Amino acid sequence: MPAGLDALKHIVVLMMENRSFDHMLGGLKKKNSKINGLTGNESNPDVQGNEVKVSPTADYRGQLGHDPDHHFPGVDVQIYGGAPFAADRVPNMRGFIKSYSTQGTNAKESRAIMNYFSPEKIPVLTTLATEYALFNGWFASIPGPTICNRAFAHYGTSFGNVDMNMFLVSDADRAKIPSIYQRMKNGGHSAKLYYFDEPSSTMEIVNLIKEQSFFATFDQFLADCKSGNLPEYCLIEPNYSDHPGPGGGQLLANDQHPDHHVLAGDNFIGQVYNQIRSIPELWHSTALLIVYDEHGGLYDHVVPPSCTPDGFQATDAATNVPGLAFKFDRLGIRVPAILVSPYIPRGTIVPGPEDPANQRIFEHASIPATVTKHFLGNDIGTVREQNAQTFLDLLGDNLRPDNQCVFFGKH
Amino acid sequence: MALKDAPIVNMLSFDEKEAYNHDRPISSLVRTQLLHLHTAENLWLPPEDRTNININNLHTEKQASEYIQKVTALLHRHGRRQQQQAATSAKPKKARKAAKPRKKAASAGRKKSSKTRSAAKKRSSRR
Repeated sequence: MPAGLDALKHIVVLMMENRSFDHMLGGLKKKNSKINGLTGNESNPDVQGNEVKVSPTADYRGQLGHDPDHHFPGVDVQIYGGAPFAADRVPNMRGFIKSYSTQGTNAKESRAIMNYFSPEKIPVLTTLATEYALFNGWFASIPGPTICNRAFAHYGTSFGNVDMNMFLVSDADRAKIPSIYQRMKNGGHSAKLYYFDEPSSTMEIVNLIKEQSFFATFDQFLADCKSGNLPEYCLIEPNYSDHPGPGGGQLLANDQHPDHHVLAGDNFIGQVYNQIRSIPELWHSTALLIVYDEHGGLYDHVVPPSCTPDGFQATDAATNVPGLAFKFDRLGIRVPAILVSPYIPRGTIVPGPEDPANQRIFEHASIPATVTKHFLGNDIGTVREQNAQTFLDLLGDNLRPDNQCVFFGKH
Repeated sequence: MALKDAPIVNMLSFDEKEAYNHDRPISSLVRTQLLHLHTAENLWLPPEDRTNININNLHTEKQASEYIQKVTALLHRHGRRQQQQAATSAKPKKARKAAKPRKKAASAGRKKSSKTRSAAKKRSSRR
């Protein structure tokens, strides 16, 4: 077993909101051609049929005041360029402006969907992407919105859901497909879901309410890191809203959901990283995965690959795409994903679809699959988990010294 | 070698006061969260514990966060209470008898229903 895996005691997942790979990290291709980002020539037609190229002019907020569509029918338009469902239609990633133009935007505003960040504008995310392991092929689990995608991180399935509706996991399903937190508990391990605070709460409260011990706030995460009580597995949810804080303070949303300030999220990622990085015992024994739940309607140039069917099926009434009953056999759009550990060689790029011979395709079911494999050491899990790539093999034998592992400072 | 040897990369500062806007209209994500919590209230909380807030009147992030905070706290409190009750009902019969002597008269009906409740709890904890 590699030394990094031998030393591993904690897996921490920070799941951000609604940004695509190209939007956040596409600009890194100019620095490293192995990163499957943007050449600058990628384009989509606007509503008049004019080609609009990608542009490194994404702003922290203000450009996406109309929330880009990321529900199943909208993502279908984005992937297939608006072609109606047919068995032989070909995905082309040409419907992003078309989709955004239906959200109340004018012609100029709808082109903002093609904007991406120049790397220096989001230094935390882009530094971690180049310092540790960057996944060229991590996709949302479903071409759809938040709730069903986050469910894959918690359960390895969305129980057949492709939308934002609340789904109550029945006791029978819960017994058959327990959440990763329940699995860890059943196996005598510790797991937690840290939400930011009560005014922000969690997106999972209705499904996990039965087990209070799984929940804690972000302040508790910080305290648990310091006191040596970090659970073996945890998932952190960011702050979903601007709201008053304790003592008359103001807490900014840091989830990066459009149109929340992207730098608030970049600094939040830095805070989570710094907390682990600054405690030597924790730093040497933790793998931190930073990943986004879905692309949020923002442009990405990589066609989502097909995948092993989930065993569930969503009817065309549920997908809201005429004729398309979804068998969970295609992944959603690509999202940023970075694995951090001092045992990962600097500048690791995990190949994706751009390198068919060596590609490794990840999705959110990779999270419970990895946690289960490492801590529970067996094959329990959903169909998607059993077919998902796991990521701990990226941890090697060599512990990088402190002078090779960054720390984020404040101006 | 220690943390002080780490290369420093600065996070970017920005005008947080200027960025803060709790009157921002809520996104579809937060709207969904409101709906879920509202459903959770009605499904799990006894009527006397519900907020009776009409979520259709919540439009801004501040309004939404106040509701979300209230219901999250209520759901946690309810969950803890249920866990305590489950733990109490799981105590051995003898210990419970010793702790709470049963009254004779009104006990017949109650005895039956308490047994039924206890059995239901056991069933649900097994699930």
